[in-house]
Formats: sequence, structure tokens, C-alpha cells
Amino acid sequence: MYPEKIEKLLLKVQKPGRYVGGEMGAVIKDKQDVDVRFAFCFPDTYEIGMSHLGIKILYSLFNEKPYIWCERVFAPWLDMEEQMRAHDIPLYALESGDPISDFDFIGFTLQYELSYSNILNMLSLGNIPVLSKDRHDLNHIVVAGGPCACNPEPITDFIDIFFLGDGEEVDLEVIELYRQCKKDGKSREEFLQLASQIKGVYVPSLYDVSYNDDGTVAAVTPKNGAPAVIEKRVMMNMDESYYPDNFVVPNIEIVHDRAVEEIFRGCIRGCRFCQAGFLYRPVREKSVECISKQCHALCQNTGYDEVSLSSLSSSDYTQVVPMLRELNSWAKPENVSLSLPSLRVDGFSDDILNEIKTVRKSGLTFAPEAGSQRLRNAINKNVFEDELMNTCRVAFEGGYTTVKLYFMIGLPTETMDDVADIPLLGKKVLDTFYSTPNRPKGKSPRVTVSASSFVPKPFTPFQWEPQDTMDVLREKQQHIKKTMAENHISPSKMSYNYHDSDTSYLEAVFARGDRRLNKVMYEAYKRGMHFDGWSDCFSLQAWFDVFEACGIDPSFYANRRRSFDEVLPWDHLDYGVSKAFLRRECERAYRSEASPNCREKCMGCGAMKYGGGVCYEKR
Amino acid sequence: MKNVRVFYRKFGPCKYISHLDTNRVMIRAIGKSRLNIWRTEGFNQHAYITFALPLSLGFASECESMDFRVLDDDEDLSAIPARLNECLPEGIRVFRCAEAVYKPAAIDSAKYAVTLEPMNESEISNIELSEKWEAFLQLPEINVEKKTKKGMKTVDLKPYILAYEARQGEKVCFDLTLPAGSTLNINPNLLIQAFSDSIGTELYADITRVGIYTKEGEDFA
Repeated sequence: MYPEKIEKLLLKVQKPGRYVGGEMGAVIKDKQDVDVRFAFCFPDTYEIGMSHLGIKILYSLFNEKPYIWCERVFAPWLDMEEQMRAHDIPLYALESGDPISDFDFIGFTLQYELSYSNILNMLSLGNIPVLSKDRHDLNHIVVAGGPCACNPEPITDFIDIFFLGDGEEVDLEVIELYRQCKKDGKSREEFLQLASQIKGVYVPSLYDVSYNDDGTVAAVTPKNGAPAVIEKRVMMNMDESYYPDNFVVPNIEIVHDRAVEEIFRGCIRGCRFCQAGFLYRPVREKSVECISKQCHALCQNTGYDEVSLSSLSSSDYTQVVPMLRELNSWAKPENVSLSLPSLRVDGFSDDILNEIKTVRKSGLTFAPEAGSQRLRNAINKNVFEDELMNTCRVAFEGGYTTVKLYFMIGLPTETMDDVADIPLLGKKVLDTFYSTPNRPKGKSPRVTVSASSFVPKPFTPFQWEPQDTMDVLREKQQHIKKTMAENHISPSKMSYNYHDSDTSYLEAVFARGDRRLNKVMYEAYKRGMHFDGWSDCFSLQAWFDVFEACGIDPSFYANRRRSFDEVLPWDHLDYGVSKAFLRRECERAYRSEASPNCREKCMGCGAMKYGGGVCYEKR
Repeated sequence: MKNVRVFYRKFGPCKYISHLDTNRVMIRAIGKSRLNIWRTEGFNQHAYITFALPLSLGFASECESMDFRVLDDDEDLSAIPARLNECLPEGIRVFRCAEAVYKPAAIDSAKYAVTLEPMNESEISNIELSEKWEAFLQLPEINVEKKTKKGMKTVDLKPYILAYEARQGEKVCFDLTLPAGSTLNINPNLLIQAFSDSIGTELYADITRVGIYTKEGEDFA
């Protein structure tokens, strides 16, 4: 329940439903009955945070424990923040309405680098000291997990504990340890030291980082018995892994307003630009029976009539058609529709189309990522032009007329010819439409080409690569436009969108940053920066001013080529893929050489050490 | 097939569910309750529900209604409120279900229970606010700019105050009856905003719709 004080303010802000809670499925407990209160914070708006699967899994998992009460907290939008600051209302959790300073744990999920400024802002809105060193007692433990925890160095001054890898077990182990430490009257320092002994836990204050004269990292040295290398946690048996049978069902529309079922974790592909494809190795599937049972329970408990089958590449699920048939055996009669996002160009078949046809016929989206075959080989996006055209033909025959194509510009080894091939590939899709005899009659096709700017990320084969400068990226964007004009591609049939390269630049700085960026974050927070992922707020110039004030050159992080033997700021974290493997993959990229996927041939990434998943499937 | 109308209260956090979102919440609740109701037959098939009179965001209500068609003529209507309540957030409570008596077009007026207070309590006392409100109501004309389909239009609200009754209380409390329905609908906030503008004080109004009536003054049923 929301604090009484905000009632008067709610009609002064947009979408007040974000701030009041009271949804079906929200877990209400008596705070007297629990030992540990956990504020699960998503550093973005309600509609975005509520769409995130990780928070749903962990929220239900924590609340299954009688001694934990986990509540949700989202970043108030600008208008609400203004009201809260003006009326002295601290950031509160939606279930109890209590300020987050009443909580033992304040947990953040790190989904994208541009949300970091919101984390600091949310702590300050909750009257919690922003810097770890200013928090002294055994409470207000600020923890964080999620993909960006793979290089958390730019925010180590603010977060006490990072969780690496899958959170289902390690989070509970740390919460249980805290409960014990609280009982035993231990200090915050004692608790943090004990926590650092748990696998998957990174306590940054227990490591010293030294630097070389050229600004690169010299060494990361553990102290007080902390492990030299921190290994990620992995849930190996997905069928037995916890999955909620109910969600908090929002009363206002959110971004992904449907039931979500995770069908497998990881990805066999190894596209060289894709961080998720390396962080979540090895691929671990759920069984068809498990998926069907979980989906059915979710639909019955939430009332949703749409299920999204979530994974990094749904058509790579080994039993995709049997799964869809099994699901439709109850979904069709119960008027539940299935959606299968993240379909690969080469995984799109008539069979799949028939099973998901019940869903509204929106457009189809494919991600060839690069325009030329040469570059697609270099980035290991194993998609061939004829496959794309075949798939489009199947889609057109199936009645679709709209195709969206996603590309990246600024990929390593990219030339201007590769860039020009982006709109030309779009044109070939249009040509395919007109050469399909059974195309929808009387309708004109529409192809949307979107190009985002490549951001090199840790734990990928491109982790050593410089990002293109913004000038080069802009030139490439213009080159696409020019190519369209030269080839007389009608803008009414093919539209071209490009993402602003400014945000990609800042993302590149923080993605591969080191601990010296903490002072940049802190200065940005003091200047009131937040919601950098939103064009309403983001200003690259404001960030340049911060970098300058801190005496830090952002291009050192974004645009510098690292040498293979450099100590990277995240080298003390182990996500199961070896540096030697990543280097081999990078060198193959330089030779424009693709690699087989995990099911075709093992490339020896290192994830086999987890003892399961795709590494042990029969080939 | 029977045309059925359910009546529900909407309050607490659910005051902040917009009309469109209320539609979604109800469709999910019906789905979850497994009530067998008529669905649209187009490409995007969905449960078919309609609302007689939308409720503004931020208003509570004692008398909302929603219509749908049950497919089974023998459906036990008296069991429907409990079945739906199990599937709805706590701030929406269905209290009655019956066959629809009137068409939505029969709606003529609605009564609102209003509590007025200053946004900033130090600005004006409740007594002073009350005096100013009484004086405001005595004005011969209350002209406001109203958004219509043809653009902005000046409207005198005075004749639209169909009934008014002050209630006892520490704050400024009253019941107000205004025209409602699809042809002419007057939002109580229009009147309150006009008052707020006239005294130059920002106000907070707690508004609950307490009755919806036909031309003959019958409860909309």
C-alpha cells in the first residue's frame, strides 16, 4: 500500500498507477513475522521493470521463504521524483509503502549500463548513503546482479555485493548468511567477509586494483581471504530450477503485458558481438512437459491469454515444434495465444508458422546484423542470404507483408562496402516479395531497416576491439541513406531508422570501464543525472563535462584497441569462457571465418566444466 | 445467451487504473474466472465487454457497471460476483450481477461525493475554504472553457448542477449531481477547477461516484 502522503500528489503526475501497488499476485506479509526485508529495485520505470523476467523469478523465490519479505521498487519518473523531493517523501516499496531505508537488503538488477545513474539516484531518494564506505551497520546491504555484473568495476564504490551468474541459489545463501550474522551480532565487515567465501559472490571492497603508467590495469589483489577469481553460479537442471507459478499482474499496461516462460538458458550460436551468448553458457533446456506445465499454471493463475516463450534464440530449442503442439493442445481451447520471439532467419519453418499463426499477425522481425556475407562470417552470425530470402518467402506466402531487419554498424572489420550492403539486403527482401507468386494480393510490402551502433562488451571475442568513433558511425549512417537514394529505393517501401550513437558511446565507456569511473558516476549523480536510457534526459555533452571535471578521457575506454595480453578490468571474474577461447574467436573474426555452433562442434570455450547442458548432448 | 450487467466498487489503488486499463484488468479476470462469455469473432478474438459510463482516472466509485453476454442461459448469476472477485485486485469488488434492465443510453445523471481540501494546508483554513465555496455556488453564472469535439467552448455550469447537498464534516464535503452519459457529461473536476481558479488556491478533491441515474431518476440497473 502506498504512503498516505502521496495521495494528493498522484493526480499531478502521469500514470499514477505506477506508484500505488495493489496488484493481483503482490505478496503482502506482516513485517513483524519476517527476519529479512529485501527491496528489489529495478533502476527504470514501473512499466519496464515489471516486464523483466528476472525480477519475477527472484521475487517469488524469495517470498516462498517465510522469513523473507521481498518487495518491488521502481524508479519514479521525473514528474513523480520532483513531487517526492518537494514533499520529502522517501523512495518506498510498493507492497508495504515503507521507505527502502527500513530494509535489510536493497537489491538492484543491472540490465544496461545507462541505468547506473538511476541506481545512485534511487539510493539517495531512499535516504541511503550512496557510497558503500558511508554505510556502517549490519543493514542496508546494497547488492546487485544481472548481466552488467560481469564488469561491475565502474560502480564498485556504491554496491557492497555483486552476484555473478544465475541468482536462484546464491542470493538465498547470502540472505541466509545475513540472517545468521544478524542473530550472532556480527558486524557489517564480518558479514561481507563471510559472504565473499560463497561461490558467485564478489565483494569489491575486498580487492585492491593497481594501474600501469599507461592507465591499464596492473593487477587486482584480493585481501582478507577473498578468492582471487570469482566464479559465476549456474543452474544446471532447468526443470528442477525454481520457476514461479504466478506473477504480480500489473493493473496498468506494461511493455511486455503477458505471461513469460523461459524455455532454455544460454545460446549455442556464439555470435561474436553478443555478450549474452557467452555469459549464459552452457545452453540448458527445459523439457517440453516442464514448459507446458509451467505455462499452463501461469496462464491459470494470472489470467493472461498470451504466453511468450522466452530464450535467446527460440528456434534453437531442440523440441520447438513438439513443444508448440503440446502447448496448443490446451492453449487453443483456452483461447491462449503463443508468441515465439527471437526467431532466427534459418529457424523459421512452415511448421512453426502454423503453430503460432493463432497469434495476431504483426510484422516479422529478423536480425541479419550485417549486410554482407563476409561480415556476417566475421561476426559469426551464421545466416545466409538465401535463407533470409526463403524465410521471407514463407512469411509472405503466409500473409505477412511487413518485415523488420535489424543491423549493427561499427562492427569490427567493417568496410564501407559492408555498410552499403545493408540497404541492398533490404531491397532484395522487397524483390523477394514481388517474386513470390502467392504473396498477399493488393498489398504493398514494407521493409524497415534499423541500424544500431555496435558496443564492444566484456566476455565476448570483441572485448579487445575499439568502438568506432561517433564521427565514423555518423558517416556510416549517412552512407546507408546515400546508398538507398542511389539505388532508387522508395522510402515508402523501405524505411531506415538508426539509433543515436551518443548513448552507444556512453554505454561503451561503462561496459569496459574500470574502477576509476566510480568518481565519474558519483559526480554525474551529484549533478542530478538520471534516466540516461531515455532521450528525455540523456545529454552526452553533460557527460563530457563530468569526464572533464574528473580528468578522465572517455575515449580511453570506448575507442582504444586493447592488446591481447592486457589485464582487463574484469579478468578476476570467471564466466566459464576462457580468455584463450575468446582470443581464438577474435582471430577467426579477423580472417572472416565463422565458427560452428555448440551442437555442430565444440570449440572448447570452457563451459564444459559445469558438467551439463549442451556440452554433454549426443552429437 | 443473456445480457448481463455486473456492478462493482472501485477504490484505493484501483482508483488509478485508467478506463482502458480497467478494460484489460476485467478481460483478464474473466479469463481467469473461466466464465463462459461471448467473444468477438474477428481475427483478434477476445472476451466482449462494455462499460456503460467510463470513470475518470483518480475517482473512486460505488456504482460502476460492466456488461457482457453469458453463453449459457442457465448460468447462475448470483455466483458471478464471488467468481470475479477472486480474480480481481482488491480495489475492485463486484457486489451484484443481474440481467441488464436499462440500455447505457438511458444514463442521464450521476452523483458524486466530494471532499475538498487545499493542496497546501497552510494556505487556507477549512472554514475559509468552506465560506468561499458557498459564495462561489451563489454566483449567477459559472463559466468554464470545456473541451468539445468542435474545439474549446465556453459553458455555464450553473444550470448543470442538478442537485447539491452539503455534508457535515471537518473538511468541505458535499454531494453533487451532474449530467452524465454519452451525449452530455459534466466532470465534477470542471466545477472544482473553476472554483480553484477563482480563489487562486490549488485544491485537492477526493471524488467518489455514488450514484448513476436514468432520466426518471431511477438507479441505473
